[in-house]
Amino acid sequence: MVLAKLAPHLLSWAGIVLAMGRGFSGRRSVVAAGAIVGFPLGVAGACLLSRAYPGDFSFAIIRDIVGGSFLLLWGGAVAAIYSSTVREFPRSWGERLANSPFCAGAVALSSGMIAGAISACRLVGTYNTLPPFLLLALAASILALAALAVERALAASFPVSHSGLMASVVALLLFSASSIIRLDLFSPLTMKLMKFSHDFVHQFFESMLIPDHLFIRTYLWGYIGLLFGNGVGFWGALILWFTPAVLVALAIQWERLPSVAHIRQGAQRRRLLATGIRARRFRLVIPVLAMVVLAAAVYRSRFPSVEYWDPKPLPISASPSGDIFIPKKGDVDLEDGKLHKYLFKQGGREARFFVLMTPAGKLTVDLDACAICKPDGYGQAEGTVICYYCKTLIPLETVGQPGGCNPIPLPFTEKEDGVHIDGLTLLNMWGTNAQSTARVKGGGK
Amino acid sequence: MSTTIIETGGLTRNYGDICALKPLDLKVPEGEWLSVMGHSGSGKSTLLNLLGGLDRPSNGSLRVGGEDMQGLTEDGLARFRREFVGIIFQQHHLIPYLTAVENVMMAQYFHSVPDEAEARLALERVGLGHRLKNRPSELSGGEQQRVCIARAIINSPKLLLGDEPTGNLDHKSTLMVMELLKELRAEERFTIVMVTHNPEVAAWGDRTIYLDDGILVREERTRS
Repeated sequence: MVLAKLAPHLLSWAGIVLAMGRGFSGRRSVVAAGAIVGFPLGVAGACLLSRAYPGDFSFAIIRDIVGGSFLLLWGGAVAAIYSSTVREFPRSWGERLANSPFCAGAVALSSGMIAGAISACRLVGTYNTLPPFLLLALAASILALAALAVERALAASFPVSHSGLMASVVALLLFSASSIIRLDLFSPLTMKLMKFSHDFVHQFFESMLIPDHLFIRTYLWGYIGLLFGNGVGFWGALILWFTPAVLVALAIQWERLPSVAHIRQGAQRRRLLATGIRARRFRLVIPVLAMVVLAAAVYRSRFPSVEYWDPKPLPISASPSGDIFIPKKGDVDLEDGKLHKYLFKQGGREARFFVLMTPAGKLTVDLDACAICKPDGYGQAEGTVICYYCKTLIPLETVGQPGGCNPIPLPFTEKEDGVHIDGLTLLNMWGTNAQSTARVKGGGK
Repeated sequence: MSTTIIETGGLTRNYGDICALKPLDLKVPEGEWLSVMGHSGSGKSTLLNLLGGLDRPSNGSLRVGGEDMQGLTEDGLARFRREFVGIIFQQHHLIPYLTAVENVMMAQYFHSVPDEAEARLALERVGLGHRLKNRPSELSGGEQQRVCIARAIINSPKLLLGDEPTGNLDHKSTLMVMELLKELRAEERFTIVMVTHNPEVAAWGDRTIYLDDGILVREERTRS
């Protein structure tokens, strides 16, 4: 079971080592050393971090580091496309650095650390003893050596450019991270873009650049409304997600072929050209594979393999005075750390809410909706609740706090035997918050 | 002293029970023009196919251009044919729906990359600068054979093989083709092995060998 969970991480790691072995083909021993040292360091780092900062903070740090590598890929891709299109590009120092043992070692070490930290996150929270982590590090070291052996057996005519290497390593790291919902980058990217487009329209509107006037026809708002759809975030994120790999592929495609003008014999000249074209074609394989891996990461992000705790809302009613009482130890155990959803109906109005015991041991009662998204509700998985509409993960520690995509907290009274909620307040809060966001156009489940 | 480009030792080719080529020992120095004569079924084309990497020997050794032909894989043989050999057939084997220049470019394509300017130059060298855009059906037999020569030499082969290249041509065209081969050989310095029935054509070579029932029966130097 654990092995199955770790499989995507270990496979990604093997792919990373294989790509590094080929990308730094003259520095295999440095790559091997860097990888074998880096991975356990990453595992140890993640363990220490999670012990020092239990909760979401340690995950946030690792996610930010993975995000940093994605930004680095963006920089590398832009540099690659620049150098392929600019005739006089000062490439000598860059190439010297890229071919140095220092660079090979640094890339192997840092990739190993990130991959190790991601893989360890899969075990953090489930295992609190050392042996599983040691086994993980050992398995990764054996896999690294096996990957390097496979790499040696690959045909020599299968080169990996430095930009291609970068694309493949980062794509595999992103894929590995996408298997853990708290490290996944694609969903937050989608959400940030969606929120950016919302804020943009709001700012645009508030600065009166779109006057609220009769002359502005309804159909214009129909177009503006598209910016509020879920698709804006998704498609925008897809563009940002794939662009670096596409740029790397274009940079390779636009690379200049070797100069053959000085060769007089036609056949020799053409043979040299054909060799250049063939080598360029082979170098394209890696960025294309990186795109496939990125697509797999998107798929895992959209359809995570984790099982959500998604309870069906239990119908509940209020006393004649309007008080809703939920016992702590009734049909359900409110203090079991799970999300418990309820549906309250009164006088043709209805509202959904949930009760949850946070890891700090505090009960919280919240609407099954936030102030921003369409009220598709929340599920629970891996130390978080997830907004089903925008896929934002809310750490359990912060549930009960207002703002952003957090569930809207409800006023309640906790007594020894249960919690009391005012039915009218609940219906009013649902009416003012959830029903207004329910009109959000497009997307949603 | 010139190096040996073709060296065979006990070279044999059997097709089932039929022995098309009996143990043959032959050396061809680089740059030589060797004519191969013999009756039908004497093993001339079999020898040519073996030299061109189109067939594999049943027994014996065969080295062409330093390559041990028996040790070559299928890919190695394909590379050898692509880069080392040019072949002119009696039947031309031009692609009917391609123009003369496109037929030459096809050989470039399978060798490396096509280069139309170079293909045009090759056709101009064989005197077909005015027939670049004509299809094979619009060319005479002699012209078609000159397209074949351009196609055979476009990749600068070290060894040019001719399987009765003038077999279908009249006397005038035959002379024209042989003259052209002589000129090109002087410029490009390739080795020629040419199978022919025609003693007049064989006389263009430096040496002629005679095969009979798969056995080398005689050889004579035709020119000093």
